[in-house]
Order: sequence, then structure tokens, then C-alpha cells
Amino acid sequence: MTTDMLAVTGGTKIFYRGTQDERRALDGLDIALKPADFCIVIGSNGAGKSSFLNAVSGKLPLDSGRISIDGQDVTKLNAHRRAQFIARVFQDPMIGTAPTMTIGENMLLAELRGKRRGFSYGLTAARRARYSDQLAELNLGLEKRLDMAVGLLSGGQRQSLSLVMAVSTQPKLMLLDEHTAALDPRTAKLVMDTTVRAVEELQLTTLMVTHNMEHAIKYGNKIVMMDAGKVLVEIGQEEKRGITVSDLIDRFHTKSDAIALQGS
Amino acid sequence: MDVFSSFYGLIPVTIAQSLIVSFVVLGVMLPFRILNFPDLTSEGAFPLGGCVCGTLITAGINPFLACAVALVCGFAAGCTTAFIHLRFKINTLLAGILVMTMLYSINLRIMGRTNIPLFTYDAVFTILAGASANFPSVKILIVGLLIALVVAGMLYFFMSEKGTSMRAVGASPDMAEAQGINVGTATIIGVGAASALSATGGSIMVQTQGFADVNMGFGILINGLAALIIGEAITGRQTILRQVLAPVVGSLVYYQLISFCLTLGLAPADLKFATGAFVLLMLALPNLRKSGGGVQIREKVRE
Ligand SMILES: Nc1ncnc2c1ncn2[C@@H]1O[C@H](COP(=O)(O)OP(=O)(O)OP(=O)(O)O)[C@@H](O)[C@H]1O
Ligand SMILES: [Mg+2]
Repeated sequence: MTTDMLAVTGGTKIFYRGTQDERRALDGLDIALKPADFCIVIGSNGAGKSSFLNAVSGKLPLDSGRISIDGQDVTKLNAHRRAQFIARVFQDPMIGTAPTMTIGENMLLAELRGKRRGFSYGLTAARRARYSDQLAELNLGLEKRLDMAVGLLSGGQRQSLSLVMAVSTQPKLMLLDEHTAALDPRTAKLVMDTTVRAVEELQLTTLMVTHNMEHAIKYGNKIVMMDAGKVLVEIGQEEKRGITVSDLIDRFHTKSDAIALQGS
Repeated sequence: MDVFSSFYGLIPVTIAQSLIVSFVVLGVMLPFRILNFPDLTSEGAFPLGGCVCGTLITAGINPFLACAVALVCGFAAGCTTAFIHLRFKINTLLAGILVMTMLYSINLRIMGRTNIPLFTYDAVFTILAGASANFPSVKILIVGLLIALVVAGMLYFFMSEKGTSMRAVGASPDMAEAQGINVGTATIIGVGAASALSATGGSIMVQTQGFADVNMGFGILINGLAALIIGEAITGRQTILRQVLAPVVGSLVYYQLISFCLTLGLAPADLKFATGAFVLLMLALPNLRKSGGGVQIREKVRE
């Protein structure tokens, strides 16, 4: 049996605990991913999907529960220390890149993710050549604009760049939080195609949050449906084949109705 | 014509002075522009550097060593400001004011009085240039070389792996953290380095003016900001080279402008008002051009 690439047990995060505004963002979340799992995370607004990803990345420290990556317990590691294992693409194209810095410098920052950064010159000729090659695969012409500030790119170009940056170092875990939601349909498709290609080629263990049920069915080998900070339904590889959007929605409702009944 | 000849006569002295203040302007630029950390510590770090250096020189310490100690003290002051902001979530400007205010007492304590004359002591200039140290041209040469070294060093650093990550912290802290950069450490070191620059400027300043005074920092920050804005208007900010050159260029131009205004008859008493009004105008300009900026804000709130 292989070790889990990601294991979350009893992940709990409660905001404003003990007040009337109490919010259970994560409420005893359990989840495990095998290496190269491509897991789609769905659930209604406020279900805790972003909180889940932020807890994994270390941005949101858990109140209780454990998180381990590739067998190593990272529960106590800060976000910047966990970055050696994790690459992220955010929903907001503005967050994932440094706008006032150039494309080349952003690529450099990503290449050095989680590595020791020294006093040696950053954007060497060898690196520039490598970045050009990596960016050329996008077919957006970014490889010719290494010295252009990222802030001048469109949202779609920035997300594509974020993606190349994320996969450039073969992370143990990739976190995608509605990373195509802010894009127009055509660009969204482009970024999604690039995502799927990279995840499959590099066999990346990936968590992808989406509100798009078609994407949930089409991509990945596993679906996790979240509600109220918990995993409501988990659909594995076998079951996922041949499932339809209405099946998904049915399962979601059956399960949440069942919970509602138990509660009453 | 008389006015112009007295202005011309002052040009070399003014250049020497502006090169020294370049240290402070670099120390203002670094947190404001690179780290996105509006910082006022310079106003206290500049006299701190002067007071530490002056006190050590009168105690018979080698002036070079005195400058080095001043630099380290400045670094500590900047680190304190950054730490206060990061640890206690206190606004950066307020953290700077707190440190600046407390530094005033510390500076007084260090010197034991408000003013120490240094005319009779060796300074870095007299050690390097002997009797000719009093010529402005010699000072220009010495400080000019030093500032060229500092600018070149900063340029190299900001293009190195470490420097690139420090810039990322200012450009996008979320992104920097996601790339494994320790945002807190980078901020503390960056703000510390900025105050170290300001303190170094103070330590050189006391050795040219021949005395150290607890009040010598008053208004230096606004002067630095004005110089920075002028410099950026000339060099632009598109590349890191332009960004590190702007403080020096701006300082050189700004102090000539001041000198010119003074020879034209601007009362020294009005100088700070004029500088403040200038900085205000430059900061307000982008918003003045967009007529109806206020409406936009209200619309955003309504959404
Ligand atoms: N920083 C915070 N402070 C207070 N409450 C928070 C915070 N972050 C999240 N929450 C709460 O935690 C719950 C889960 O939020 P989360 O953002 O994880 O949901 P989500 O599934 O990502 O939703 P969406 O689909 O809208 O992105 C919500 O009730 C939210 O209000
Ligand atoms: Mg979300």
C-alpha cells in the first residue's frame, strides 16, 4: 500500500467560536489522496472548500486535526514552509502573481519555491532560456515577453502564467481554487485544458475546487462533495465513470436531506 | 545677477549635502516602493545615526567604526518598527511614529545633551583626505563614491535570488508566501536595512556639519519623500535600475531647487510648508486628474 500524498484527519476550523456568529468553516474534515489523484471538490457557497484548501496550504491554521503530506506531518508548519510541497493557483488572477514584477521574475520566484535563495544573480541566461521554453507551450506568446510586467497581462494570461509557475517544479500537491472562475468561457477552457494536460503529464496530485458540474464529471478521478465543513459524499474512480450531472445533484440532495432529517 | 552668482557659489556645497541625504532618500524609497510598507522610522533613524556616531567620535572611537555602529543601530530601529507592525498588527505609519518618538529620548540619552560639537575631532573625511577634507569637491568625491557603491550593491541585491524574493513581498505578499518566502523576515530585514541607510546618512552628516544634534532629523522624511518623487519623475520606475537611481537623482535635483528658492528670497521659515505643499500636490495629482474620483468610491461601496 502506498502512503497517502495528502491526509487530513478531523480538520476543524471554527471562526468566532462561542459567539452567536460562530462559523464552522471546517468541521471534522477527513480526506485522503493517493499519489497522482486528481480530486475535484464541489459544494455550495460557504461549504468550506476554500477553507479546506487554505488549511492544507497553511494559510488557515487548524483549531484541531492533523494534516500530512506524503507521510510527513505538516500540521505545525507555516504556510511558507509548506510551499516546498505545494503549488497554488488562486481564483483571483491578481493574487497568484506579482503584478509589478516581470514575467521572468515571477517564473524565477516559482522555480525557487521552497528552495534556498542565495545572493547569486537571479535571471541568468540559462534560466531565461528555460522559462521561454516552458512558456512557449502555452502558445500565448509570453515567451517573447519575459521582461514585461505581469500587471500588463490579461486575467487569462495571468492565470495561464500562474499555472506554468505552479507546475514548473513538480510539486507534491497542487491546489486550484476556482482558478478559471474569473475568466471568460473561451479563456477558461484554454486554462482548464492546460491544467488537465499538465496534471496528467506530470501525474500531479491535485485538488481542484469548481462550481462547474460538467468539469467535475469530465475531469479527475475522484469527486469530493463538501457541505458545512465536512465531506458529504465521496465518489471514487469506479463510480465516477458514467456518472451524470443529475446523478451528482441527486446524491447531493439525498445526502443533505438525510442529514437534515437526522438533525430534526 | 547677484542672486544667481550666490546660487552658483552654493552648488558644490549643495551637491555634497544632497549626496549625503541620498542615503536617507534610499532609506525612504526601500520601504515605500519595494516593500509597500509606508515607514516613518527614517525621521528618527537619521538623528540616531548622527547621535551615535557623534558620541562615539568624542569618546575617541575611530570614525569609520563609529559609522558602522550607527548603521547597526539604525538597522535595529527599523527592525523594531517592522516587528511592532507584524507582531501587534499596528499600522506601519503608527509603528514608525512610535519608534521615532521613542528614539528622540534614546538619542538624548545617548548624547547626554542636545548638541555635541565635533569640529575638533577627526572625521572620515579628514582621515581620508587630510587638510583638503574641507573642500566640497573632496566631500563630493568621497560621498559620491560611497553612494555609487551603495546603489550598485542595492541594484545587484534586488536582481539576486534573495532580492527578487524581497521585492515579491512588497509586490504581492500572498504570492510571496505561496512561493515559500518568509514574508515577516523579509519585511523586518528590508525595513531594518532602510533605517540602516538613514542612520548612515546621519552619521556622515554630523561629520560634515561638525556637530550632532537631537533635532537634526526634523522634517527629513518629507524632504526625502519630495526628493524621491522628483527623482522618480525624472528616471521613472519601470526597472529596478531606475528605481534605485531615482533617490540619488531626486536628491541632487531637489536640494538645488531648494537652494535656488532660498537665494530667490524664500524665507527659510516657509521652507517646510513649501516642501509639504509640494509633496501634497504630487501625491494628489493622480486623483485630481480623475475628476469624479469620489463618486467612484461611493459606487463601489453601494455594490
Ligand atoms: N476569514 C474568515 N472569517 C470568518 N469566517 C470565515 C472566514 N473564512 C471563511 N469563513 C466562513 O467559513 C465558511 C466556509 O467558507 P469558505 O470560503 O471555505 O467556503 P467555500 O466553500 O469556499 O465557498 P464559495 O463557494 O463561496 O467559495 C463560510 O461560512 C464563511 O463565512
Ligand atoms: Mg471559495
